[in-house]
Amino acid sequence: MKQFSVINTRLPRIDAHAKVTGDAQYAADLSMPNMLYGALLQSPFAHAKILNIDISKTKRLVGVKDIITAKEAGLIKYGVSPARYDETLFCDKKVRYIGDEIAAVAAVDIETALEAVSLIKVDYEPLPVILNVFDAIKEGAPAIHDDFPNNICAEVHQEFGNVEEGFKQSDYIRTDKFVNKKQDGAFLEPQACIAVYDLNENLTLYTSTQSPHYVQRTVAMVLNIPIGKIRVVQPYVGGGFGPKAAANSIELSACLLSKRTGRPVKMGFTREQVFLHSRGRHQFYHELTTGVKKDGTIVALKNTCYLDGGAYASFGIATVYYAGSLLGGPYKLANMKYDGYRVYTNKPACGAQRGHGGVVARAAWEQQLDIIAEELGMDPIEFRLKNIMQRGDVTCNDLNMSSLGMRESLEAVRDGSGWVRKKGKLPKGKGIGVACGFFVSGAGYPIYRSETFHSTAMIKLSEDGGTVDLFTAAAEIGQGSDTILSMIAAEALGVRFEDVKIHSGNTDFGVDLGAYSSRQTLMSGHAVKQAAENVKQQVLEVLSKKLNTPLEDMDIKDGLIIFKKGPVDCSSLKASYIKEHRGWAKFPTESQLTFQEAARIAYLEKGVIVGSGAYKPGELGGKYKGAAVGTSPAYGCSAQIVEVTVDMETGEVTVDNMTDAHDCGLAINRMNVEGQMQGSLSMGLGEALFEEVKFDKKGKIENPTLGEYRIPTALDMPNVNTIIIESNEPNGPFGAKEVGEGAIMPTIPAILNAIYDATGVRIKELPVTAERIYHALKEKEKGKE
Amino acid sequence: MLLLPKFDYYEPKELTEACRLLSETGSKAKIIAGGTDILVNMKKGLISPKVLVSLGRISRLSEVERMNKSITIGSHLIIAKLAEFDLIRKRFSILASAAKVLGSPLVRNRATIGGNIVTARPAADLPPVLMALGAKVKLKSRRSEREVALDDFFIGPGATVIKPDEILTRVIIPETPSYTGGHYIKLGHRKALEIAIVAVASKITLNKPDGVIKDAKIVLSAVAPKAVHAKSAEEVLIGEKPSAKLFEEAASLAMNDCKPITDIRGGVDYRQAMVEILTRRTLSFAWKEAKKGKKQ
Repeated sequence: MKQFSVINTRLPRIDAHAKVTGDAQYAADLSMPNMLYGALLQSPFAHAKILNIDISKTKRLVGVKDIITAKEAGLIKYGVSPARYDETLFCDKKVRYIGDEIAAVAAVDIETALEAVSLIKVDYEPLPVILNVFDAIKEGAPAIHDDFPNNICAEVHQEFGNVEEGFKQSDYIRTDKFVNKKQDGAFLEPQACIAVYDLNENLTLYTSTQSPHYVQRTVAMVLNIPIGKIRVVQPYVGGGFGPKAAANSIELSACLLSKRTGRPVKMGFTREQVFLHSRGRHQFYHELTTGVKKDGTIVALKNTCYLDGGAYASFGIATVYYAGSLLGGPYKLANMKYDGYRVYTNKPACGAQRGHGGVVARAAWEQQLDIIAEELGMDPIEFRLKNIMQRGDVTCNDLNMSSLGMRESLEAVRDGSGWVRKKGKLPKGKGIGVACGFFVSGAGYPIYRSETFHSTAMIKLSEDGGTVDLFTAAAEIGQGSDTILSMIAAEALGVRFEDVKIHSGNTDFGVDLGAYSSRQTLMSGHAVKQAAENVKQQVLEVLSKKLNTPLEDMDIKDGLIIFKKGPVDCSSLKASYIKEHRGWAKFPTESQLTFQEAARIAYLEKGVIVGSGAYKPGELGGKYKGAAVGTSPAYGCSAQIVEVTVDMETGEVTVDNMTDAHDCGLAINRMNVEGQMQGSLSMGLGEALFEEVKFDKKGKIENPTLGEYRIPTALDMPNVNTIIIESNEPNGPFGAKEVGEGAIMPTIPAILNAIYDATGVRIKELPVTAERIYHALKEKEKGKE
Repeated sequence: MLLLPKFDYYEPKELTEACRLLSETGSKAKIIAGGTDILVNMKKGLISPKVLVSLGRISRLSEVERMNKSITIGSHLIIAKLAEFDLIRKRFSILASAAKVLGSPLVRNRATIGGNIVTARPAADLPPVLMALGAKVKLKSRRSEREVALDDFFIGPGATVIKPDEILTRVIIPETPSYTGGHYIKLGHRKALEIAIVAVASKITLNKPDGVIKDAKIVLSAVAPKAVHAKSAEEVLIGEKPSAKLFEEAASLAMNDCKPITDIRGGVDYRQAMVEILTRRTLSFAWKEAKKGKKQ
């Protein structure tokens, strides 16, 4: 076992004080001298032609400084995947969902800005509204986008192995359908931003984002500003979960308005606008057919999925791939076929949300596997263990499990939850359920085709040698990357955690694709580690020369220089440090040579010490079309056991206990890993039991508030027993890999399986409301009569 | 950003001053108590009163007083406090239990008992228990004062008999006789910050511990435009000896004493079915309480 000084411990987060005291400034808290306020005009129709836009009244309103529509903004198409750039900043000829952007204004205050947009007169000609996937793909359905006459935004057809052959070899085959509802990220901080276009034609955008890098590129492309002139800065961010991983309409509008007016422009979404912008979880209609042998060997899986994508593509191309590719494991499966269709409808666009396209597929399959285990008369854990993948296994779709503590996780939750004692022995109304899952540790490719590094990092030592400034463009969105990256820097350089000062979330600090696909610990971590090692090397090189000691005989640990072959006389260096700092208050008092002294000596020798690191994944598996979605340098995995009580009369579900084991390779900060596990479980619990964005017949959201769109409260969350599994990932920095999203994978199906255990009914539609269970129980009673 | 429209704001220290302000500004004025409802509606642009009159500085309106055979609660008492008063916890425990499940701690620290009544939301938590307890409200204007039984107070969603110049000043709850028990169950989607899908408040009084039911009140919430008595269920209980079978019969009758609708919180069938279950459960609990004996 390696001995670490900083990592693999439990440290409070760097941002803890700022956040609990309210000192942390979020985008909406910021203001600038001479700032204007922007507001958006959004479509009240889900599908309509725009006949005319009249801004004459708005122009006359005192305090209005600028009005922009498609005419001013132009019609450059953008989006997430270059293959599906299907959005323009403002609608030109037609609107495609309630909330589609038509214009923006900038005014001296928010009141005037809001009044100004209300004075813009738009003439619409309503078009037929399509709110359902199956209506959208019907022959003759109106096209939401002219380029996609049958409303299919993207389709995927993949087969690995031979599924028909697999079914022939199977003794037992079953098919199940499963559906969820459109869900919202429901992060606490609505998007907000301030754009400042200065007299030197440099643009700075302060924004609540998960990916300063992608925002920078999109702003550059849509507004035709050189990338180097754009700086995207991330203040504290209150959660993202996916929907903040791409540029949004207020960012682009504020930048354009600032460029045109020469004044800072602030914009923000209301909670309702957060729901309208959406980009959260798709609605998935899965049909899964699984074939197994009598002994429980899983042989083949056929997966068909229709995704309700809403009006634009957003991350949807990746989503439709993920809804297939993430079922390749964590069980040995030789034959898998996937047909996926992402469909346009007149609803807010769906995108990426924690666990991305894999969550609902996982819920559907893990419930089906539970049914199969029961049909075969096998314990669900035994059944899973029989098929489980292990380190070094490669899935049929070429995902390389370079480390995989799946068996260890499953055994840990079995033993940690008292499964053997409880399964099959609980009274009616009480149930226990299990599920597994895995997830990428960073998407293997950027969202645009490029050889770019995924993360770079830079470390600069302060001239007194006492402070390590770490510069990274990685995005802290509440998940803890600032803390994790500081810990990695401290460990790799050999200094104390408190010696590192992190500067993050700023495109001037380097390239980082951002906080999505659970990538920053592994990818940004690699870059930071490399930068730290580089700096360490530079300091030791100078020492080696000064002390006439071979470099390999020295090391840095806990802020001190280590001489592996016994003490070396450092008195001359110590003396010169003191001489340098005559009159300064604080000298290192250790008798040993400290890193601070050594770094000062190095500075005197070389000037400012700067080291950099850069990471991109090496060669990844998969040569087939779509292999870019799902392949990753590493995979995290987890197993969960959930215990529930179901009120057999009302259908109410109470989740009593959750036991979660997650393999994160190596826990950089154990407390943070547990926090991510608990966060995933809470989010999964909400998606399983409450969360649904509801629409009326015209496509208007009926519950665009956190009062009627329910996420779990503290009282809904049970005690969670978090068990960290460490498998030492060869492709991760210090062996680390993801925990941010993988931990949500088993939550929903474990709850579903526990509900079945408690009630005897299988619910194949999310969310599992009390009402849905009540009706299922009634149906079951009827069947018995 | 959601903005509040502009308005004038008054914080009178005396009730008479509040009444004067209200009568002089007429329909342009609204009373603000905790603001958990009115400020939200103003931000949404649903209402835009030109004047808001706060009751926050009129200290008597936050007091609980024990009167002859009743207690009166000032309308500005916040919900969080309601559950803290010994008198309320011991003598009117269903009121305390409804107060505990209203909104969230943040809402309970601002929202008031009067506010929860005058807003007349069909799923509000306090009206059903107060109706079960036979509460009255005192309405005061510049020139008059009257008492109205809560049973006669509500007209429909957001509508009550209160006149534009009247202020709801006190809630008067009669002392409950010995051998009385009650229970309130709120069914929601999650365990806090919830608006009821269905809620039921029941109260029964026995003539002696193992005697017959002398008085019964069952109030159903969120299943009609306003909280309603399950009249036929109440009637079937009176004069009968309590039993599981009797409560089942009453519960079954209660299902037809309401007119639920399907909305985003729940469907008609489910709501109706839940009325039966919650009625039975509240009655069973109330019976256990009632048997416990004399009130001090």
